[in-house]
Amino acid sequence: MFAGYDFDVIQRSLPYLFRDGMTFTVTLTLIAMSGGIVFGTLLAMMRLSSFTPLSALSGGYVNLMRSVPLVLVIFWFFFLVPYIGAWAIGANEPIRVGAFWSAAITFTMFEAAYYCEIMRAGIQSIPRGQVWSGYALGLDYWQTMGHIVLPQAFRNMVPVLLTQTIILFQDTSLVYVISATDFLGAASKIANRDYRLVEMYTFVAVVYFIISYALSQVVRRLQDRIAVIR
Amino acid sequence: MISLKNVAKWYGSFQVLADCSTEVAKGEVVVVCGPSGSGKSTLIKCVNGLEPFQKGEITVDGISVGDPKTNLPKLRSRVGMVFQHFELFPHMTVMQNLTLGQVKVLGRSREEALQKGMKLLERVGLSAHKDKFPAQLSGGQQQRVAIARALSMDPIAMLFDEPTSALDPEMINEVLDVMVELAKEGMTMMVVTHEMGFARKVARRVIFMDAGRIVEDAGKEEFFGTPRSERAQLFLSKILHH
Repeated sequence: MFAGYDFDVIQRSLPYLFRDGMTFTVTLTLIAMSGGIVFGTLLAMMRLSSFTPLSALSGGYVNLMRSVPLVLVIFWFFFLVPYIGAWAIGANEPIRVGAFWSAAITFTMFEAAYYCEIMRAGIQSIPRGQVWSGYALGLDYWQTMGHIVLPQAFRNMVPVLLTQTIILFQDTSLVYVISATDFLGAASKIANRDYRLVEMYTFVAVVYFIISYALSQVVRRLQDRIAVIR
Repeated sequence: MISLKNVAKWYGSFQVLADCSTEVAKGEVVVVCGPSGSGKSTLIKCVNGLEPFQKGEITVDGISVGDPKTNLPKLRSRVGMVFQHFELFPHMTVMQNLTLGQVKVLGRSREEALQKGMKLLERVGLSAHKDKFPAQLSGGQQQRVAIARALSMDPIAMLFDEPTSALDPEMINEVLDVMVELAKEGMTMMVVTHEMGFARKVARRVIFMDAGRIVEDAGKEEFFGTPRSERAQLFLSKILHH
């Protein structure tokens, strides 16, 4: 059945696939996750604000990001970021932003919309009385959020945040539209160069599956251990 | 110390408080009672600005609560509050619960806060539990920690919002004992509760509320002897006779 296939190509290209490709993918995932959670949490706080302009702004942003295809956002950002950057710093020419940083900014901003909804649910899951008792002690809004609400909300939501991160990890493969060399991109280059499409794409699928599945198992284990006991 | 003048509050078009006026003098213990939904909890939450109100004026130690220029966190830090469901911070140990406000709000050093916390835990009989998390304590113990947490801020007055309503019957007394002791030391207290035994023991005045209004505001003897309003008579006859 496997006659005519050359699986050796995988072994030959392993260093390139992992040292270049996987490093790109993992770094991008980690940056977008951290940035996305921070930005998403701010968006969630804005969205829950009683000050209407703030909540409307955040709501609009989240709905916009969640209503457009990710590929489109990556593509648009890649072309727009140099111009926006130039406008922001007042340069005459579009600034140079590499594929990596363009992707990092895009994924951070896009994922923030999803992390926002998760953190919003997390914040809303904290009983009102917790906020009251923080205020009653004399803590202000930021102290109450920082010491009482967010630590609990975050811990309650870690499993969901990680699940979203697994999706993010898979979604980073969409950077192929800007010809970035992530794990899939690297494999794709080898596949086309050596004309070993079946072998390379099968390997890529197996690797994505193993990593994602292992992470989801970690999430399952965490679920029981990390929740705040009331 | 605490003064309410014609306080009124609406949720949308529904009026929850109407024309509430009363005073709590320094060192006085005032019990607020009444049927569920009568606005007792809402009223006491208005006193430290946890609930906004639309009309009237509340002052605590001469400072207006409703004034937008008032530094509410600062005012709240001087008024202790104890809640029905304890509201200890579940992700912090007992001692961390007691030191958070002292360090972050009052700017005390960690050592000072720990010392104060330890003293208060000893006072409520829970020093052995200082490193436990709230979920590891019984309801009565949690509520005593909550009282200690409020006291850690050296408040000028204490507000209690049904402090024993969520407790198993056998744990009610351990909390009431702490409160009685506090009252005897001369703490200014406003207490929403159904514990008429507590009211008889330490209250100077009893306020009876119904449908968002203060129906009766009388000295303890008068209230338990001959309440003027029919509604208060009916309420007392129901809760005192079993």
